[in-house]
Amino acid sequence: MPRWGMVIDLDKCTACQACVAACRAENNVPFAGPEEAERGRAIFWMELLTHLDGDYPNVRAQFVPRPCMHCDEPPCVQVCPVGATYKREDGLVIQDYDRCIGCRYCMVACPYGARHFNWLAPRWPTPMARALNPDTGPRRPRTGGRQGPEVRFRGVVEKCTFCIHRLEQARRRVEAEGRQLRDGDYVTACTQTCPAKAIAFGDLDDPTSEVHRLAHSRRAIRLLEELGTRPRVYYLTGG
Amino acid sequence: MARVRGEHPLLRVLTTAGPAYWVAVAALATVVLAAGYAYITRQLAFGLGVTGLNTQVTWGLYIVNFVYFIGLSAGGIIVAALAHAAGVRRLEPVGRIAELGAISCLVLATIFITLDLGRPERLWHLLIYGRPGSPLTWDVIVIILYLLTALALGYFSARRDVVKLMALLPHRKRLYRWLALGRLDLSDAAVHRDQGILRALAVVSIPMAVALHSVTAWILGLLKAQPGWHSALIAPLFVASAVASGLALVILSTVVARALLRVPVAEEVIYSLGRVLALVLPVLGYFLFAELLTVTYARETAPAAIFYDIMQGRLAPLFWFDLVLGIVVPLGILWFPGLPARWVIRLPSPALRPAAAAAAVVLLLGALWMTVRAPQAAVELPAAALRAWAMAAAVIAALALLPSLMPTRTAAIGVAAGLVVMGVFAERTLIVVPSQFHRLLPFPSGAYTPTPTEWLITAGVYALGGLSFLTLAKILPIVPLEADDGPAEAHGPKS
Repeated sequence: MPRWGMVIDLDKCTACQACVAACRAENNVPFAGPEEAERGRAIFWMELLTHLDGDYPNVRAQFVPRPCMHCDEPPCVQVCPVGATYKREDGLVIQDYDRCIGCRYCMVACPYGARHFNWLAPRWPTPMARALNPDTGPRRPRTGGRQGPEVRFRGVVEKCTFCIHRLEQARRRVEAEGRQLRDGDYVTACTQTCPAKAIAFGDLDDPTSEVHRLAHSRRAIRLLEELGTRPRVYYLTGG
Repeated sequence: MARVRGEHPLLRVLTTAGPAYWVAVAALATVVLAAGYAYITRQLAFGLGVTGLNTQVTWGLYIVNFVYFIGLSAGGIIVAALAHAAGVRRLEPVGRIAELGAISCLVLATIFITLDLGRPERLWHLLIYGRPGSPLTWDVIVIILYLLTALALGYFSARRDVVKLMALLPHRKRLYRWLALGRLDLSDAAVHRDQGILRALAVVSIPMAVALHSVTAWILGLLKAQPGWHSALIAPLFVASAVASGLALVILSTVVARALLRVPVAEEVIYSLGRVLALVLPVLGYFLFAELLTVTYARETAPAAIFYDIMQGRLAPLFWFDLVLGIVVPLGILWFPGLPARWVIRLPSPALRPAAAAAAVVLLLGALWMTVRAPQAAVELPAAALRAWAMAAAVIAALALLPSLMPTRTAAIGVAAGLVVMGVFAERTLIVVPSQFHRLLPFPSGAYTPTPTEWLITAGVYALGGLSFLTLAKILPIVPLEADDGPAEAHGPKS
């Protein structure tokens, strides 16, 4: 089973936020609107973190695109009181919207701010509401809980899924071909969109894969590695 | 029993209600209804978006109150443990207030945690899908166990009174029979058995209380993502805060009930509770000091930013309120009876009392102002030292004025207890909220201001607590009836 992971090259990243927009369209991430965003309630599965170092005119700006890290030791899964967030067999950290009670314990436990809450019912401006992604993705095994891009409802937490609906399509395709999933069978929407090709996605365990090579490069770091969360998202630091 | 039947003050409290009572009931009911309306038409209809919470500060007023009321519930267990397990029999008169208080606080805490859920209709998920690894699941378990223990303590200590009341107030016979769960035997053997069960329950409840307050602390303290919470000291700190605030709540309610309902509780009982509080407060202060020193000395980035917010930044007024009015001043009041008379400023005439009270308030506010206004870079020694001395002088002067302001020692202890109850609320806010302002990653610092809806709903829960207290005070005698026809354990220095 592939160990899906991501490598983001911060030297290639131009901070254009195409990944943020692609993610929003692909996963039906709701629009908070200017007022709610002002209140700190914008929802970003993929978010561009900005870090300014120094004082004008000697400022060094750093931009870090932040998806969910899909940690191998996820603090959110550890604290969820009802198992609404869980780690799939293939290691993706997924949110079950039908199980979630909205206590937001996972949000205070996640060191990366990757989790967002539906403070109000999700909304889209008129043209966008007609362009929602109809793919609902796979239901949770056994319970049938909703967990894909299907439109969420207020009062539950949501987060990046590494585009599990795309993974599900790939799984069906390779099953028809009579083989196992492998590196390159699918990429996430952010990876596909990135105009600078700064995002690589694939099987971290496959020694021939691009992500394996990049993740083992000397420039590779992981965010807050010292916390022991073992993220599956690597960054190549600025050279 | 004939003596009880006659003009027993406790029975008068049970059966009569003056206009003041009904005014209070009406006022509280209005707040409850308004809050219920706001909850249904705003929060249930639109979601938690009607609060001031946001992605970064995702736990606010409701969780502060949850943690606070869990802590306040400790009072019942302390008094029960002292009275039944440690054999301090003279505390038994306040046992009823303490037990009812503990049960009410636990119920209010449960209401607050439900208010904080995005999908309250899924509360039952906690029971059927409960994951053993989550501190929140542990908390659900200990809250349920603790609530059952508190109910059992209340039942076994009240059963004798309830059965007696069946005879004394025949028109409520069915209610009391139901409250006694049909066990009407008042023989020496039965009462003795109740006492034995009470003793066992009181012993069991002590580790259970430690577990409850520790687990509530660990909901926060086990998270490595929150530098302001992730501390091994948080559980002991929560136990100490719980004991201090719980005890203070028992004292406050006893003093108020004594003044308003004229229930017979000897002054000596309140003095004893005050002495225990005077011993707990320094422990609480010590834990706070140890935590603050560790963080401010080490100056790690995120914790330092959080504690800057707490001690000098936007939440500084709460911090200094907690420290000065929640710990130092109550300690001063509780310790004053032991101080030499020359340390106390005596007023030449009682007419000067309002002036002296104003002076004390001005001095304390001045002390707060001096700290809050302290510029962040003011480490130049003379200025800082001068300010520290001025603050200390202001607090000491205010303390020296206080004894002559309090009409009685009981009232003074009541005021100290009230300050502790408010101070611990400030402390809970400082623990829950500011840690979320600063993340480990370079997110902009967060902000949180509760909305009027949030305040109203919170006030409604408080009012519900008050309303249930007023109702219970008409059903159960707020202090146990005299054991005049009970078995040989004649005790209780009651007048």
